[in-house]
Amino acid sequence: MSENATALVIDDEPQIRKLLQVLLEQENYRALESENGRQGIADVAQRRPDVVLLDLGLPDMDGLVVLERIRQWSQVPVLVLSVRDGPADKVAALDAGADDYVTKPFEATELLARLRAIQRRVHGEVEAARVEAGHLVIDFASHIVTVGGREVKLTSTEYALLKILALHAGKVVTQKQLLREVWGPNAEEQSQYLRVYMMHLRKKIELPGAAERLLKTESGIGYRLVVPTSTEARQS
Amino acid sequence: MTRSGNIDQNISRPGKFGLFGNSPNEFVLAVSLVALVTGASLPLETLIGYRAVALVYLLLVVMVGMTLRRGPVLLVAASSALAWNFFFIPTRFSLHIKGIEDLMMFGMFFVVAIAMGHLTSQLRSSELAERRRQQRSAALYELVQQAGLAPDLDGGLRAAITLTENLFGVRGALLLRHPDLTLAKHPHPASSFSLSEKEYGVAAWAFNHRMPAGKFTDNRPESEAAHLPLQVGSEALGVLSIFPSADMILGPAEIELLQTFAMLIGTILERDHLLQGVKQAEILNASERLQRALLQSVSHELKTPLSAVQVGIDALTKEIGKGGRSQTTLHEIQQALRRLNRVINNLLDMTRIESGVIHPKLDWCDVGDVIEAAKDLTADVMGSRKLEIALDRGLPMVRTDQALLEQCVSNLLLNAASNSGIRTVVKITARVVNDQLVVTVRDEGKGIAESELPHIFEAFYRGTEARPGGTGLGLAIVDGFIRALGGSVTVANSRATGVEFVITLPVETLRPDVLEKLA
Repeated sequence: MSENATALVIDDEPQIRKLLQVLLEQENYRALESENGRQGIADVAQRRPDVVLLDLGLPDMDGLVVLERIRQWSQVPVLVLSVRDGPADKVAALDAGADDYVTKPFEATELLARLRAIQRRVHGEVEAARVEAGHLVIDFASHIVTVGGREVKLTSTEYALLKILALHAGKVVTQKQLLREVWGPNAEEQSQYLRVYMMHLRKKIELPGAAERLLKTESGIGYRLVVPTSTEARQS
Repeated sequence: MTRSGNIDQNISRPGKFGLFGNSPNEFVLAVSLVALVTGASLPLETLIGYRAVALVYLLLVVMVGMTLRRGPVLLVAASSALAWNFFFIPTRFSLHIKGIEDLMMFGMFFVVAIAMGHLTSQLRSSELAERRRQQRSAALYELVQQAGLAPDLDGGLRAAITLTENLFGVRGALLLRHPDLTLAKHPHPASSFSLSEKEYGVAAWAFNHRMPAGKFTDNRPESEAAHLPLQVGSEALGVLSIFPSADMILGPAEIELLQTFAMLIGTILERDHLLQGVKQAEILNASERLQRALLQSVSHELKTPLSAVQVGIDALTKEIGKGGRSQTTLHEIQQALRRLNRVINNLLDMTRIESGVIHPKLDWCDVGDVIEAAKDLTADVMGSRKLEIALDRGLPMVRTDQALLEQCVSNLLLNAASNSGIRTVVKITARVVNDQLVVTVRDEGKGIAESELPHIFEAFYRGTEARPGGTGLGLAIVDGFIRALGGSVTVANSRATGVEFVITLPVETLRPDVLEKLA
């Protein structure tokens, strides 16, 4: 991951902007600020940040609209920061093109992990031939999945599911997206398939008694392949 | 049907608009008219000759045919023929006819008179029917105009009753349906009579059977009033009762029209019910939108400063580095902040429950997954307590709101953690019995005094033994969410130690193995 990445904070609360700037600069980001949606869109276009932290409750326009405008011409990773904590709000933001969602108030470790994950995705999609998460290693070239060094046999559906989650490692993937990409556009509502295959997948790749689950359920939203901090450290 | 047979023979009294009016005995009139013409023609006969008199009789038949009914007209035709024969055709004052020519004339007169009488009366009756149809639609139109378009329901019903009374010359009353679907005992205030116990019984019969009853009908005709259900579709919204004067008779046509009236009044009532429903839904919607906006802005105002403090703590923690007293201070602030955040979340959830803006989003859930997620959420509070999870073998997937259920389970876990010592066991079980998901959470704490158990789900209720730090909202939220999902939560002291909470949720279920065969 490149150091000194530029992060743009779009938030109307000056306190939050200022404190986030301190926090981001501690982590070697170059922090930029926009205080409303209009300015935020202009800043994304002109200053080309590497990652955007977007608040949804902006004074001039809804954050979702800002997101949709940005997505018309830019694939910059966007992390939504909002006090809206309902699953429906989160799904709406993810559907509109957000890469991940953190509810306010958030703790720094969580925020920074999400930021790293969504930046990794942009590079990861083209570069990585393998993804590691704790004891799990997925090799895309050979289609081989190992858990603690031992190869596990996955069915093609299980592999397809795991691959999508691994490509977005550390980031939440909506249930709709998983269903659409694995079972096709007509299966978006067929969550029962997803539940069954996630059950199987978990049995195969999660070690019994592990402190934290690798495949984390985000209730009402989707799933996330968790990348433990130890793995992250090793990779960077 | 003797009664209606009678009415066909045209006897009832004239209605207000002459709609169903019948002359008094037309047969008497018919015979008198023939007698009159005969009397008038007797002196004329010497001037015009007896054959021209036949034309006078024919004129009478035509005129009578245009005003009277068929029976009297035919009587006029026949009696004219006989009178002409008797009084004018030679030999006069006898029915005997001398000449073959006169015999022919008489025969032809007879046929022509009967035929003309028949044709003109037919013409007239079709004209009458047409007029009746017109008047009938005029009456219905008037009802729609006056009653249907009245600005309020009471005005509409008043107009409907008045119109019915004027049109049929009766007194009218309306009994409406209660919200509990029974027929009201007391008539609508616009009614002009109230029903005796006996008549109410007949009205109730009409209401329950959705059929006309009482006087002039096939059901309980001995009653004094007629009762017509206000029927819309398969529902009766009330009864229209009419009280005729003693000598009055209404025929099937009138009863049918009254039934149409009753149906129209029913439609007016239904329209009003629908309007009320729409209005209520609109009010509900508006208040829900307001509640949501309010909740959103309160939540924004509370959480924004909280976020600022949180980011500040994190930035300071990083700056100060590990160890030292400042770090300890920061840690304490962090703990307090987490607690404050939980309190705010609980308050917001409780407000959502109480303002009824919780709309569960049902989806298939793996119950094991929900419990695992709740376990992850509460890991820091559970600390060294051991969590035992016992899921029924072959537990099916259930359809419920995963996020709500997850929060309920984690609230129960938090409650268990705050009421039991470290290194105790908290046990969760889940099974499906008769399409009901049953989730139990049991701790090994001291239990709750029996007197406190009934209050434990009340908002802000805190047990006397409760440890400091709680808000008294966690269990109330569980209760609210589970209710929103259509289920219930109960609590009891378990036999050995601690308390056991039982969540029971009616759910659709799906066995994973069934699905695998399909997939």
